[in-house]
Amino acid sequence: MDKEFSPAPLNDKDLDVLFAAAQRDAPQLDPEFLARLQAQAAAALPKSEAPQPWRRAVFRFLSQLAAHFGGWPAGAGMAMAGAAGVVIGVSPPDAVLDITSAYFQTESLSELSGIGLEAEFIWEDS
Amino acid sequence: MALDASQNLEDAELLARFAQGDRAAAQVLTARLAPVVYAQAFRMLGDRAEAEDITQDSLLRLWHAAPDWQAGQAKVTTWLYRVTSNLCIDKMRKSNRQSSDAVPEMPDDGPDMERRLQDSARAQALRAALSDLPDRQKQAMVLRHLEGLSNPDVAQIMQISVEAVESLMSRGKRSLADALAPQKKALGLEDDG
Repeated sequence: MDKEFSPAPLNDKDLDVLFAAAQRDAPQLDPEFLARLQAQAAAALPKSEAPQPWRRAVFRFLSQLAAHFGGWPAGAGMAMAGAAGVVIGVSPPDAVLDITSAYFQTESLSELSGIGLEAEFIWEDS
Repeated sequence: MALDASQNLEDAELLARFAQGDRAAAQVLTARLAPVVYAQAFRMLGDRAEAEDITQDSLLRLWHAAPDWQAGQAKVTTWLYRVTSNLCIDKMRKSNRQSSDAVPEMPDDGPDMERRLQDSARAQALRAALSDLPDRQKQAMVLRHLEGLSNPDVAQIMQISVEAVESLMSRGKRSLADALAPQKKALGLEDDG
């Protein structure tokens, strides 16, 4: 019968010999292929999100300057004052108009500027 | 960072530096990991060109994973072994690969040419027998006996229990022992016994 003549299977020691041979027969990486992989790795490098040195220096200078003048609370106060100034200039409340009228003897700032311009033209004519 | 200084760093540290755009870290990691990946892919596939494709693909995946890499998660090599194994299995399934018909490459002349020729013949025979194993058995055998990893490491890479790894390897060894039996004499195993 065929089975009687089938060769005996390898034992563990035989297999270990084969594994050791396969480990020694490790394939070598082609240097050109390795160079391609190096280039690929370099191309895959994430773009650095760290700010440039000069940008860091400018940011640090502005931060120090802001801190010198009171830091962010002072900045917020100045921004608020600026915004209030714009609102008052565009749409002045009655109280402001009363004060300006009393001081300049005019009904409004626009009237005051009209007098000023007229006076200027008169001066140029003479 | 300087190339020399990067040589002594752990893989995970180098990967973190890679994520910050460190070119030296990229160079050192590639030089360190590419041969490991290539050897594993070649042992699983038995084809140099395919092993190169897998190496390229595995490393690209590592580079893409670098920015989100969590320190303390799996070791970089463990992660790579897993990715490479899975890519090889995908490739084998797509090509419906059976036994390897690749012609063994003859080593160059040298003082120990005879031993190297024998190693090459034995490695080739082993690769051919491995290629006939079911994918998971082959994966376990390559990682354990050719890459030299421990059973727990193999279990981690294959995401199965250590007992399952032992079972896969037991069956794999039995299959290899039967498949290579007719070549025992040709491979010079009787002399080694």
